[in-house]
Amino acid sequence: MSEPVVQIRGLTKRYGDLLALDGVDLDIRAGEIFGLLGPNGAGKTTLISVVTGLARATSGEARVLGRDVVRDYRFTRRNVGLVPQEINFDPFFTVEESLRFQAGYFDVKLTEARLVELLTALDLTGKRTASARALSGGMRRRLLIAKALVHEPRVLFLDEPTAGVDVELRRALWSYVRTLRDRGTTVVLTTHYLEEAEALADRIGIIDRGRLLLVEEKAALLARSNGRSLEQIYVEQVGRRQAAPP
Amino acid sequence: MSSLGFRTLLVKEIRRFLRVPGQTLATPLLTTTLYFVVFGVSIGHQLREVGGVPYARFIVPGLMLMGVIQNAYLNSASSLFVMKLQGTIVDVLVSPLSYAEILGAFVLAAVVRGLLVGGITFAVAAAFTGFEVAHPLLAVAVVTLAAVAFAAGGVASAIWAETFEQVNFFPTFFILPLTFLGGVFFSVRMLPPGLSTVAHANPVFYLVDVLRFAMLGAGDASPWAGFGLVTLLAAGALTGAYMLLRSGWRLRS
Ligand SMILES: Nc1ncnc2c1ncn2[C@@H]1O[C@H](COP(=O)(O)OP(=O)(O)OP(=O)(O)O)[C@@H](O)[C@H]1O
Ligand SMILES: [Mg+2]
Repeated sequence: MSEPVVQIRGLTKRYGDLLALDGVDLDIRAGEIFGLLGPNGAGKTTLISVVTGLARATSGEARVLGRDVVRDYRFTRRNVGLVPQEINFDPFFTVEESLRFQAGYFDVKLTEARLVELLTALDLTGKRTASARALSGGMRRRLLIAKALVHEPRVLFLDEPTAGVDVELRRALWSYVRTLRDRGTTVVLTTHYLEEAEALADRIGIIDRGRLLLVEEKAALLARSNGRSLEQIYVEQVGRRQAAPP
Repeated sequence: MSSLGFRTLLVKEIRRFLRVPGQTLATPLLTTTLYFVVFGVSIGHQLREVGGVPYARFIVPGLMLMGVIQNAYLNSASSLFVMKLQGTIVDVLVSPLSYAEILGAFVLAAVVRGLLVGGITFAVAAAFTGFEVAHPLLAVAVVTLAAVAFAAGGVASAIWAETFEQVNFFPTFFILPLTFLGGVFFSVRMLPPGLSTVAHANPVFYLVDVLRFAMLGAGDASPWAGFGLVTLLAAGALTGAYMLLRSGWRLRS
């Protein structure tokens, strides 16, 4: 098998007394959709933040395409896209401007063809010249996804990408994520919708209180669980704590 | 430094303030024009001359400097602070932009706004008092270095600030009093000896003074003191802002 796209080794992150990540080891394989599940505060966003450069590890390391995310940040960040959990937008600029700026930060000149492709894929064609202020919540999240894709990253981190997105659009996004995967993008996805993980993920990881409890192929996991749903497995794994509401 | 990423952030920052020209260019221009009209033209009729220079002309360098440093500071401080607040700073932090590029873009955009305000102020004032400048190169250098210093200060304080009130802390409690006490509207020679000593402890006094020397040909202190100070301030503020940015404090968790 080819080298893992993301390698995480002994990753620990402390916030004061709080251990947000506790010695996490994880490999993300090339071309897979990896579903990272866990209750609120489990450490999902923290894990993603360390790999994307938003947070610094207390100890341990993370590599993208074999390169250290701190030492070789220019290389790794060019290859990583992030859809952050928190929606952000700049009310000063239009959808098109936001996308052009974002591409520019990554040293990429956004071609008209690529722009149209992204707008089409995320159903924002009609909003091309609209100010980000004038978008609905779901549209803003889609703009966030488009922004994360402008530089055609090899690895895409989606931190709860479908929170607040309507059912129809969620299905459309799922199919777009699969398209991305089929074109070779590796996807790491966090979600509180277990049916989303069930529908999309090739492998599942469950994290709680900074520790990875389980990492397994979704198919194998479901197969050895005698017909139990992912939700049942999840609740069991996370133990006393209930599956967090979305 | 001339990467596409750097240029993009610079262009974005410049376009941001050009989008709201009323707030970023017209307001400061109106304020300085009012100062000029109230202090320069009306009081100038009574006061006529300071050190052989018509009063209206005497206050132009200080007014320009005030507009330049306030606007340079406000541009980088408010832009970076708002990015922190609305979360768009993430877009920059996950990009391959280096800290030097990020700082360079914020500072340069703020300098552009500061110089625009300074330049327009000069043009308006000069329409009344004449366009001649004694040492134009020195004047441009001083104004630019002052803008760099306060733009970098704006970056640092946006990193530190957690509320809008804190962003306004530095302009309200330092820039404004120090510029007013720094001899924008008077010569320290007009002060009683005790106050004059106090004025000499104010860094803005030397900045106003060197710009006055550059524009009018004479000042109260050595122009080298002012030039040395503004160079030092620019270098110090850039270094400080760079180290703060690199430390990740309040930006990267
Ligand atoms: N900047 C920070 N400062 C202090 N503590 C933090 C910070 N960021 C996260 N934490 C803490 O770290 C832990 C993990 O948070 P994280 O955001 O990674 O959880 P999560 O799994 O993404 O949760 P959610 O599903 O709610 O998004 C939490 O206890 C959180 O309070
Ligand atoms: Mg999270």
